[in-house]
Amino acid sequence: MIVKSFKAALLSGVLFAGGAQAQEVVEWWDFLGGGDGVRMKQLIDEFNAEHAGAIQINASTLDWGIPFYTKVQTSAAVGEGPDVMTYHASRIPLAVSQQTLSPISADDLAVMGLSADGFAASTWDAVNVDGATYAIPFDTHPIVLYYNKEMLDAAGLIGADGLPQNLDGRENFSAALQALMDNGAEYGIAQVTADGGFAFRTIYSFLCQQGGSIGGDGNWFPDDSPEKLTAAVQVIADWVAAGYNPSYTDYPSTVALFTSGASPFMINGVWEVPTMADAYARGELFEWGAIELPVLFDQPCTYADSHAFAIPNNVGDPMTPERHAAVLEVIKWMSEHSLFWATAGHIPANDAVTASAEYQAMQPQATYATLAANMVFDPKSIHAGVASVLFEEAGNAFTAAMNGEVDAATAVEEMRAAMSALQ
Amino acid sequence: MLTNRRKELTAALILLTPFLLIYGWMFVWPTIQMVRLSFTDAPLIGPGNNIGFDNYVRMVGDPVFRTAVWNTSYFVLLTVIPGTAIALTIALMVSRLRGWVQSMVLAFFFLPYILPVSVVYIIWDWLTNVQFGLLQGIIEPIMGRSINVWRTIPWFMPGVAIITIWWTNGFSILLFLAGLRNIPRDLYEAAALDGATRWQLFTRVTWPLIWPITVLCLTIQLILQLKIFDQVYLFAAGGRTRATMVLVQHIYETAFQRNQGGYAAAIAVALFLIVAVFSVLQFQLLRIRGQR
Repeated sequence: MIVKSFKAALLSGVLFAGGAQAQEVVEWWDFLGGGDGVRMKQLIDEFNAEHAGAIQINASTLDWGIPFYTKVQTSAAVGEGPDVMTYHASRIPLAVSQQTLSPISADDLAVMGLSADGFAASTWDAVNVDGATYAIPFDTHPIVLYYNKEMLDAAGLIGADGLPQNLDGRENFSAALQALMDNGAEYGIAQVTADGGFAFRTIYSFLCQQGGSIGGDGNWFPDDSPEKLTAAVQVIADWVAAGYNPSYTDYPSTVALFTSGASPFMINGVWEVPTMADAYARGELFEWGAIELPVLFDQPCTYADSHAFAIPNNVGDPMTPERHAAVLEVIKWMSEHSLFWATAGHIPANDAVTASAEYQAMQPQATYATLAANMVFDPKSIHAGVASVLFEEAGNAFTAAMNGEVDAATAVEEMRAAMSALQ
Repeated sequence: MLTNRRKELTAALILLTPFLLIYGWMFVWPTIQMVRLSFTDAPLIGPGNNIGFDNYVRMVGDPVFRTAVWNTSYFVLLTVIPGTAIALTIALMVSRLRGWVQSMVLAFFFLPYILPVSVVYIIWDWLTNVQFGLLQGIIEPIMGRSINVWRTIPWFMPGVAIITIWWTNGFSILLFLAGLRNIPRDLYEAAALDGATRWQLFTRVTWPLIWPITVLCLTIQLILQLKIFDQVYLFAAGGRTRATMVLVQHIYETAFQRNQGGYAAAIAVALFLIVAVFSVLQFQLLRIRGQR
């Protein structure tokens, strides 16, 4: 019965397209295939139920990374792209240079009731290129430090407030890792060491903690950034050399080392929060938590990226005003309902949502959400961003360096040379 | 007679047209476009300026291109002849079996061939996993420590070669088995009557008669392995991709990650020429040897 009426609604939408009574079908593409994809599907179902007869989202999930972005770019160029799609903020500069995205106008923002004030400054900055807004941030997803509360407690690393303590500063942190291993942990910490591209998130955070930065085309590593980057790589190389961190270990293995209790710390993205939460709910996991990366250098700073909503520039197939209005409604609704998205670990980009009492009661989300004040995004370049050349070159340079095969300074020089040679 | 011939020609043309149209549209035209693209500085999408031979000049000086050529050649060396030799050996052994036992053993050898590359990757990635992999039980006693095969440069290509042979060998085995079945029994009987030893039976009867199949296998393997991409791409992802780069991967990264359609097309033209020259050379060489 429901299927029938849905079909009828769909049919009437097709027959009376453009009419006042028409139901707008919004084509939606995302790259969310994991635990967060399940949660996104639930949000979409809720939206469709609430907008029955008016707007329906027709969602497709595609492959994350280069395949997604290639498909978006090629399909938009021939007018076959979707109406709305998820996009990494870090990929926006390249998309803008390829004219893949339609800018979001001030009027659009007014219609949605959204503005720069409603988002963290660094997140909002990440979706703007040359003064134009190209996407609406939905979340920010930084990396965090996961911890095994039981093992930390045994090593005396849990403070009176129930949170880890005495982790700031490289010496303190190493002492903590040593204490954990003295207490029977196989490793102190699990950081991905087989994939320098993935580890770049941690290395970039440590670079930023020293006040260093990555520039852009023409001047990738300004001032004393090479020395600071070397020091950042050296942190992980030292962990590996001391036996605190397993060498040449890939992503799934680090998660397995953490969840099996072999390693009481893990540095990973907030997207692993649902993995832990679900395992804990099934009674298969110890007491755990996640906090902002400790300050190993001078200031708190953590790498983050943002899942944002963007409207493709479908060449030769401009959107009708009705469809455009429907897309804005989709983005607005999603932004307002992003509290549920927080169960996937991501920090909702909409400040009104993170300020709500419901969010403040969510753990460990509310604990690490404070890091939103200290985030660093990818440099704005067509060569930067997730699954970009910058990540690829980080893989080439830092994989060997983290595992002590080449020294950190040589790796940084190799990376500098590779990035400078880009044309 | 004349009208007959004209009729035949018309019929042939009509029958050929669908093929020629599709072949021209789907293969010849894109190839021409690719060559034209290689003389421009076009991005992945959209037109570019004509820059003459700049892309080819750049290619000669590109260290990653040289690495890719070397790695691809090394991979071909590691897989084509060893893979074919292993397939022939296995086929010889399987052909001695009879009935359902033969079918079953053959099925075991053929099984990996039907797996998609992603499954092959996941199986071997877990088998070799540095923390939990079963194969570390062999590697650790020999090397003294567990080794991440896919992050140790000297291990990488041999590792991918072994997996590729394991994965694709089933097809060559089938070809050889069909060839072996086509050798008439009486030749062996006659040779046996003349007192030929097992080794003589192989070198004087089996080997010359199986040679055309060997040539076929080697040629198929050569073309296939020159185009190696998936396995290397999957196993190297996130690591030292520049050191383990192969040609098709270089084309893919240049076009899709670095957004340089023109330069990627130039590398593709180079690969096209390499494949064409090598396969013609190899085929001629093997044919001459076969006719001796």
